[in-house]
Amino acid sequence: MSTKNKSYLTGREIRAIAKENAKIVKRLEAYKNRKAEESEFLTQMQDESNILEIDNLHTYFFTEQGVVKAVNGVSYSVPKNAVVGVVGESGCGKSVTSMSVMRLIQGPAGQIVDGAIRFKSHEYKRDEKGEPVKDENGNYEMEDKTYDIAKMPISEIHRIRGKQIAMIFQEPMTSLNPVFTIGEQLDEVTFIHIPDATKEMAKEKSYEMLRLVGIIPENVYDRFPHELSGGMRQRVMIAMALAAEPRLIIADEPTTALDVTIQAQILDLLQDIKNKIDGSILLITHDLGVIAEMADYVVVMYAGKVIEQGTVYEIFQNPMHPYTIGLQKSKPTMSLDDGTELYNIPGNVPNAVNMPAHCYFKERCAKCTAKCSGDYPGMIQVSPTHFVACHLYSEEDSSNG
Amino acid sequence: MAEEILNTPQYDDAALEKEYREKRKEQIEEDMKKPFDPDCVLEVRHLRKCFPMKKTITGKVTKELVAVDDISFKLKAGETLGIVGESGCGKTTSGRAILKLHEPSGGQIIFNGEDITHYNSSQMRALRKEMQIIFQDPYSSLPPRSTVGGILSEPVKVHKIVPKNQIKDYVLELMDKCGLRDYYYERYPHEFSGGQRQRICIARALSVNPKLVICDEPVSALDVSIQAQIINLLKKLQRERNLAYVFISHDLSVVKFISDKIGVMYLGAMMEFGTKEDIFRNPLHPYTKALFSAVPNPDPTAKTKRIKLEGDIPSPANPPKGCRFHTRCPYAKEICKHIPPQYKEYEEGHFAACHLLDGE
Amino acid sequence: MEELKNEEQVSQETVDTELPLDKNVRLMSPTQMLLRRFFRSKLSIIGLVMVIGLFVFSFLGPLVYTQWGETDLDESGKLEYTTSTTTYTVDGVEYTLHQTVEKTMKDNFLAAPSAEHPLGTDNQGYDVLARLMYGGRVSLLVSFMTVILLTVLGVIIGGIAGYFGGAIDNIIMRICDILMCLPGIPILLIISSAMDGWVSLGWVEENMRIYILMLFLTMISWPGTARLVRGQILSLREQEYMVAAEAMGFSTGRKIFKHLVPNVMPQLIVQMSLSLGSMILYEATLSYLNMGIKAPYTAWGSMINIITTDPNILQNYLNVWVPAGVCIVIAVLGFNFVGDGLRDALDPKGRR
Repeated sequence: MSTKNKSYLTGREIRAIAKENAKIVKRLEAYKNRKAEESEFLTQMQDESNILEIDNLHTYFFTEQGVVKAVNGVSYSVPKNAVVGVVGESGCGKSVTSMSVMRLIQGPAGQIVDGAIRFKSHEYKRDEKGEPVKDENGNYEMEDKTYDIAKMPISEIHRIRGKQIAMIFQEPMTSLNPVFTIGEQLDEVTFIHIPDATKEMAKEKSYEMLRLVGIIPENVYDRFPHELSGGMRQRVMIAMALAAEPRLIIADEPTTALDVTIQAQILDLLQDIKNKIDGSILLITHDLGVIAEMADYVVVMYAGKVIEQGTVYEIFQNPMHPYTIGLQKSKPTMSLDDGTELYNIPGNVPNAVNMPAHCYFKERCAKCTAKCSGDYPGMIQVSPTHFVACHLYSEEDSSNG
Repeated sequence: MAEEILNTPQYDDAALEKEYREKRKEQIEEDMKKPFDPDCVLEVRHLRKCFPMKKTITGKVTKELVAVDDISFKLKAGETLGIVGESGCGKTTSGRAILKLHEPSGGQIIFNGEDITHYNSSQMRALRKEMQIIFQDPYSSLPPRSTVGGILSEPVKVHKIVPKNQIKDYVLELMDKCGLRDYYYERYPHEFSGGQRQRICIARALSVNPKLVICDEPVSALDVSIQAQIINLLKKLQRERNLAYVFISHDLSVVKFISDKIGVMYLGAMMEFGTKEDIFRNPLHPYTKALFSAVPNPDPTAKTKRIKLEGDIPSPANPPKGCRFHTRCPYAKEICKHIPPQYKEYEEGHFAACHLLDGE
Repeated sequence: MEELKNEEQVSQETVDTELPLDKNVRLMSPTQMLLRRFFRSKLSIIGLVMVIGLFVFSFLGPLVYTQWGETDLDESGKLEYTTSTTTYTVDGVEYTLHQTVEKTMKDNFLAAPSAEHPLGTDNQGYDVLARLMYGGRVSLLVSFMTVILLTVLGVIIGGIAGYFGGAIDNIIMRICDILMCLPGIPILLIISSAMDGWVSLGWVEENMRIYILMLFLTMISWPGTARLVRGQILSLREQEYMVAAEAMGFSTGRKIFKHLVPNVMPQLIVQMSLSLGSMILYEATLSYLNMGIKAPYTAWGSMINIITTDPNILQNYLNVWVPAGVCIVIAVLGFNFVGDGLRDALDPKGRR
């Protein structure tokens, strides 16, 4: 084989990868499609003040070129009524994590391999037949249950998806169905969510939701999605997400596709809504500015791992991981004083196949020490809420305590 | 509000528009006759680009979309002009119209002291090596079936930049300059990440030794840490080769970092134009101000008060009458709804188009 | 001082884009990816085996199976028995006369499969297996030539329409529309009967008939390819790398042939392999209708045509015509399978 082809896999290796993948994927697919009793996927929250706990989640993609460990042991939690921002560059696994929570990972290549996603749902109490139970006053009874989403068979996911956890996507152009009016799509959410909802009820609810997102309902209720602008569509998406009164809203890059002035409107809207609803928001974005404005807690991800997490003040005023520091420095600011060169982190985000055992950021890190060639650094607690995964701080930690 | 309407004169839209048009026409004709500025690499005068929207069966255009309406600027060697604006403001179209990738519908483009507005395609072909473009999407801007070496050596070959036997060395040197390893030469574009692909695009643009490079959102599709690398690379190459850049972006902070002069566009027209200091220290136009305040601040403690813009960007196919911005402007007056404001010089080299600046 | 050092370091890093981490990663080469996709489906493997098998059979087969040539008659002779039964009545008694006539024929026709003739002989005394091989040559060659001609024509015309657009595009597409309305077989029938006259006048040679007919077929079936190419070019033209090529000042020819056509190739190859199947069918149909190659030469369709001469062959001598039918089926299926496999393998959506 000539030298230029050294960087390619050989035919034998490709066949070996395919064989290995097929074996694992078959097992995981069977697990995903199994029938299971409810007790199998009920669990307990570790901390009752949380609404979502992601614990050591591993989501892999079994591709022809090898296993891509898109999410490789991610743990973070979303407290009640809080906004958690997940920030990272493309390919860091931030979206894959949220897709895993919704169980929207495309099989057979993508699979949740390990870990737990604990979610506290607040839903209608149901009897053995699955009918909702009414109390003496004729109102439906509610109950709290904690599910382990990672263990749920895919057929049970409807309990959570869309009802308990709603999602706002990046692309408002394609996330609404073009053949139905806005009203029909909004009403449908209510029909699915509330048992024996009437048409009037649904319409009233839809109007309320549209007003909540700052749209005059009469103007858009009977319109089709293509008649609305991008910003309006994103508002409708938010209204749809809110209509089911979810406990958790996952907003995956909600403003990336929008213009700056429209982005400002949507951010203001999200700020406003955050105070009005009884739920949490998981905000995923690559824009540090958006995170700083919106989030209470920040999770910084890099190459499928959480490298730093803390409150928004801790992350922005006292960033500890060299990557977080570099990320903040490499964005030009709006103030006028800057030099001729922008700070930059050298190199590229590593390809997630064949990750080394040492810290993934080592090659791009300006501060790396001898220790960095060792094991992957563990999470070090800096303050009650601030954690960082970097060897730079492990020495201090051990000498202090 | 009622008072305002009572106190302001009623406007006859049709008559006003006619008057405005005539005045503009005269001014444009006068400007076009002015001598060319010999210091400038690029001078754009009243550039206009329309796309036909409706045609009759005989091919007569009955309705057109004015994508770029009257933009003018001058650019010297080694300078960067930043053009900012939101989607649909015509910034990409103006970039392509300057290179005559779209045939301009009006105005003048003066490149290197020559009026190239009416050059035909074979005249342009010879000029292409002087002016280049870098695109936003590094994935679709490289031909998928050529190797990096092939992509980079093709323009060198076509324009006979160096003798045939030196092409490979020349390309390898160029790749080194742009931060590409020599063994990439045999590789295909799909094997690279976005940042590396953008480096390949930059190398391709520079392979013909241009004087002017149009950078059409070159970093928008990239990650923050990679953005910084590409911006630094562009700046380094500019210093080394005395390049003139037209840097088109929707990201204000990036434009601010790289540009010497900045033009703010809205719905096809230039709203404000000036040096970086002018625009950032003393923004005149309300749209510029609103644009600045809309940028999210990566500092959780600084809760800045936003100038909130209501509503959406109107469709460029159907721009509002009068000042284009009046539908969203928080300070709009009655006059703004009827008469388009004059694009005037308010400070030296600092232009804006707004009625509010003319005072009472 | 500290700051200065830092800045120096930063500018050095600007050029440093690749790191050992990336070097660990090995990808699949484009060829490997293509092959992997193609061979993932069992059908495309079967198709490939079929197609290659037929080629080997037709083009290499005669080199191995040398006993009989295409035009060799088996003149070993054959005894033909004709039995007749006559009934007549003499004095009220009915007699039946069984009469068998033995006739020595020059040619050994309609022989049953034997060691000498693995597939027997046909009604003239030609060896079926040998004829099958030589007939395959004609069938495959004719359809290949047609498809190549078709594609060249389609690429040029479709390319012009797609690249230049406007009035040229309009005219070409309307011509396409008209041609697509024309029914293929009836037109060929008309041309063929017209050609009878040409043959008798000595303008064309009898054996050229099939080639000329297929040429006409090409003339009316290029619109499919032209439309495909035009559509592809219209979408490729909007790609930014084409704008980049324009900005680079490349000539029109270079843009079309170095940048557009190579990117249309995948779809074209798929289209070609699919139309190979249909061209084989066309050729077989024409031959079957006796408009193809004339005896003593043969093609698969002509071999089936034998059944029209004698219903007895259709019923009792399956070895004469079924093998040719099987070959046609294998060829059409094989090319279609390969085409489908290629489409999946070359589909840009499946590409990473």
